[in-house]
Amino acid sequence: MLPPMVALEVTGLTKRYGSVRALEQVSFTVAPGEIFGYLGPNGAGKTTTLRILAGLVRADSGEARLLGRPVRDATARLSVGYLPGDLKLYGGMAARALLDLFARFRPNRPPVLRERLLDSLALESRDLSRRVKFLSHGTRQKLGLVIAMQHDPRLLLLDEPTSGLDPLVQIAFRDLVLERASQGCAVLFSSHVLSEVEAVCRRIAVLGAGRLLALESVDTLRSRMVRRVHVCFRGDPPEALGETPGVIGCERAGSEATLRVQGDVNPLLRLLARHEIARLVLPEPQLEDIFLRYFERGRDADA
Amino acid sequence: MPTPNLLRHLAVRHAPFLIASAVLLAAFQFLICAAVGSVDVSGALEALIHSLPPLMQELVTSQLIGGFSPGSLLAFGWNHPVTHALGSAVAIVLAARAVAGESETGAIELLLSQPISRGAYFTAQVGFGLAAIACLSAAGVFGTVVGQSVFGIARFSGGSLLRLGLAYALLQGACFGITMLLSVFGREGGRVASGGFLIVLISYFGEAIGRLWNKAAFVQPWTLHEYFPPHDILVRGIGIARPAVVLGSVLTLSLALAWARFRTRDVP
Repeated sequence: MLPPMVALEVTGLTKRYGSVRALEQVSFTVAPGEIFGYLGPNGAGKTTTLRILAGLVRADSGEARLLGRPVRDATARLSVGYLPGDLKLYGGMAARALLDLFARFRPNRPPVLRERLLDSLALESRDLSRRVKFLSHGTRQKLGLVIAMQHDPRLLLLDEPTSGLDPLVQIAFRDLVLERASQGCAVLFSSHVLSEVEAVCRRIAVLGAGRLLALESVDTLRSRMVRRVHVCFRGDPPEALGETPGVIGCERAGSEATLRVQGDVNPLLRLLARHEIARLVLPEPQLEDIFLRYFERGRDADA
Repeated sequence: MPTPNLLRHLAVRHAPFLIASAVLLAAFQFLICAAVGSVDVSGALEALIHSLPPLMQELVTSQLIGGFSPGSLLAFGWNHPVTHALGSAVAIVLAARAVAGESETGAIELLLSQPISRGAYFTAQVGFGLAAIACLSAAGVFGTVVGQSVFGIARFSGGSLLRLGLAYALLQGACFGITMLLSVFGREGGRVASGGFLIVLISYFGEAIGRLWNKAAFVQPWTLHEYFPPHDILVRGIGIARPAVVLGSVLTLSLALAWARFRTRDVP
């Protein structure tokens, strides 16, 4: 059988918990080999989407297909790895026994990647012989990643996967995800940390209050990002500061200026290079700012 | 093979609790035989009962124990609160943990995201629970058989013991089914277990009160424990068709309702 052209297909997914709208008409697709970012603040509906895809929660309407099969078909999950956002494991079991337990659910897909993952995530045999309840939060998160990936899945559903991991392990994890994608594995990567999604994803979906606010490439997202730049000049700020391409807002206070820059910052940097600068603060754009912009756009569109 | 894997996991997880319960039940039935075989329990009880008012004498002798023969006393052992408590503990704990308990610990989220259908999960939990109850019943019967043999007490027929074990398993199976029904609606194992325990307690005392007080006799047919008559089975040799139908129906109906809920419920 030929592999499906779409690894994950979500069409019009809607879910309500009583009067609370968790998801409303959410649709997107993920291709084999693609890492797809699923961004949203807490309560946006990311976990609900992933739980529907993992077969844990039933959608009120809409359809989701994993590797060409409907989510209600348990065999659809044979080649799917899932990491819950709020990972809970059997505390009384030894870590290795836990890995074996979950490996045995797929007898035709042996845990071929286990040793490689243990090595990359720096999980030592000492950790594996201990009971799960005695492991740190980060080590348990690593175990969750091994459980999700040890059988070399063709689709990975990861809900906030880097939660609790130290920066070095986060880098190792990012490399692992990129490597699996290069082997054809599709990845749905849910997060509320913009920088980590930006680092590995080609396309992203932005979710807010259960609705899909945007579905676009990371490049497009970058072009829409608004940065707040703070500059302290040795002297008066240049007059042309507010008219520089990309600058959409400018507030001056003595020798200091706070600018809002959308997209490319190079025209501004070229202008600043011609002046004496005492201090320049150029922070990463905040996800909240992006959400606010998308919410504003959504409101405008509704109006 | 997800289901054998799940069964194996359940067996490993619950083994200490189940083995301890089975050993305790077997030991308790053995001790009852020891008491009946080595001490003049019937004589002591007879003397005690003769000191009671006439009405109480009749009530206790004819309804609570059904006479003072060794067989009657052994049958009383099967209706003893300890016997019921051990069986109900196994039935309630396994059913409460099956869904509500796993939801509470959160492990059910990772389990059901594996390639295992809701049907396979539910079947494995129910199959394991009922098998555990069957083993517990067998252990209790084994304790009685060994006790009778060791202490030289007249043995019950094989058919009576089989019916006794089956009736006990059906009673605990009904408790399991009812608690399973609570479990599929719940998210906290402790609360579900408390609910199951309360229902069993009401059933036990409802049956006892109905037996002691004529005005409350109407309650008896509505209790589960009315359908577990060890004295009728062991001493009078009465069949268990009626208990089997009633307790079997309670078990089947409660499991059917539990499944209807579980197959569509959101997890956790």
